[in-house]
Amino acid sequence: MEIVKATNLHKYFGKLHVLKGVDFHADKGEIISVIGPSGSGKSTLLRLLNHLETADRGSIRIDGQYIAKENAEGRSEYISGKETLKICRRLGMVFQSFNLFPHMSVTENLMEAPVMVSGVSKAVAAEKAESLLEKVGLTDKRDAYPGQLSGGQQQRVAIARALAMDPEIMLFDEPTSALDPELIGEVLNVIKNLAAEKITMIIVTHEMNFAREISDRVLFMDGGVIVAGGTPDDILVNPDHQRIRDFLRKIIREA
Amino acid sequence: MDIGYLWDITAYIALGAGVTLKVFFITLALSVPLGVLCALGKLSRFKILHGVLGVYTWLFRGTPLLLQLFFTYYGLGIISGGRIAFGPEMAAYITFVVNYAAYFTEIFRGGIQSIGRGQYEAAKALGMNQWLTMKRIVLPQAIKIILPPMGNESINLIKDTALCSVITVTEILRNANRVMSRDFNVGALVIAAAIYLLLTFIVIQVFRRLEKRYAYYTIR
Repeated sequence: MEIVKATNLHKYFGKLHVLKGVDFHADKGEIISVIGPSGSGKSTLLRLLNHLETADRGSIRIDGQYIAKENAEGRSEYISGKETLKICRRLGMVFQSFNLFPHMSVTENLMEAPVMVSGVSKAVAAEKAESLLEKVGLTDKRDAYPGQLSGGQQQRVAIARALAMDPEIMLFDEPTSALDPELIGEVLNVIKNLAAEKITMIIVTHEMNFAREISDRVLFMDGGVIVAGGTPDDILVNPDHQRIRDFLRKIIREA
Repeated sequence: MDIGYLWDITAYIALGAGVTLKVFFITLALSVPLGVLCALGKLSRFKILHGVLGVYTWLFRGTPLLLQLFFTYYGLGIISGGRIAFGPEMAAYITFVVNYAAYFTEIFRGGIQSIGRGQYEAAKALGMNQWLTMKRIVLPQAIKIILPPMGNESINLIKDTALCSVITVTEILRNANRVMSRDFNVGALVIAAAIYLLLTFIVIQVFRRLEKRYAYYTIR
């Protein structure tokens, strides 16, 4: 069953045509990695799905509900901001730069949205926060402030913060790209553990081994389009496309 | 100079400190919320509002406060043929509130703008609407950033209240000046200076404490 479906997505930043007709779908429980060179539109695709950016053309449906629908002239028409916010609450997002709230403790970061947005009681939210911190292995940091944590710890808190809203779909926008190499493993492990829970995940990443290990499907984007998609082996081990082979060779040389 | 005389003139000048503090607190109490509103207006999507607020801050930051005091106290009465006339203290409150709100508008705007886009995006991704994002995420962090410039403005405000003396508000400097011209004695000015120093010292301490209270976290 398709929980995310996007058709013919176009996005311009000024004159720059960043997405050039992207069709994308994710089944419930599916884990999809999106790879490709920087500037290929991977992050933009992710940011369109939870309305951090608005599409210029094309449609986006979450669990059958349109948040943007292409009208007769081909322009994307969005439903009301309030409604989009409500639907997009079903998606959690993890950013490259963590974006934790620096003025709140780790626990307060995890409680903020459940209490202020969902209206959950503080006691329930605190309990939930504690169990999520256990899941990401940071119970000893519950009273720390983000500025006191390493990048890897911050990103694990950010994952827990997104999970606190019980999302059905998790979006990861290059979750390890801002981390020192020795901190990448701990974040990837947390994501791997999530995969076991069969939550739908869409991951933009440059970690090829991780993508191969965790994904049901891998998409390769380049120049604003999805060039190819298939099983991890199809894309990462024996790619048909010269562009994928070139990209992978370059990544391996850099690593 | 005997002790009795010193005591008398100190008491008289200190009486003026009451008026000075009144101008100080009324100005802060009204210009801070007004400044927040204008800052949010400057950051809003309404282009016309930007223009109006731009003219406002330019006008009141670009002309002398003393001139503005004269205008409110004397000028408005002349223009309106006496229909609009304020007493000295009221003219001082109005001018100071409008003038300081113009400075606070710019300070708050800068503080709010220094909060990175990532904070807004994280809040939105968690389902927070714009109002919640402002109230819970952006403004609390902006306060930390604006505290040092707010401290500066508050010190300036203490000293600027002395300008009210020229429109006959009986604050510290006016009373000191009267003693000085009556007795041909500079001691009154020294006492006035000491009171200003005491007041600014207190303001500095208050802001030092506030900054300490917000020192528990760092903004990247």
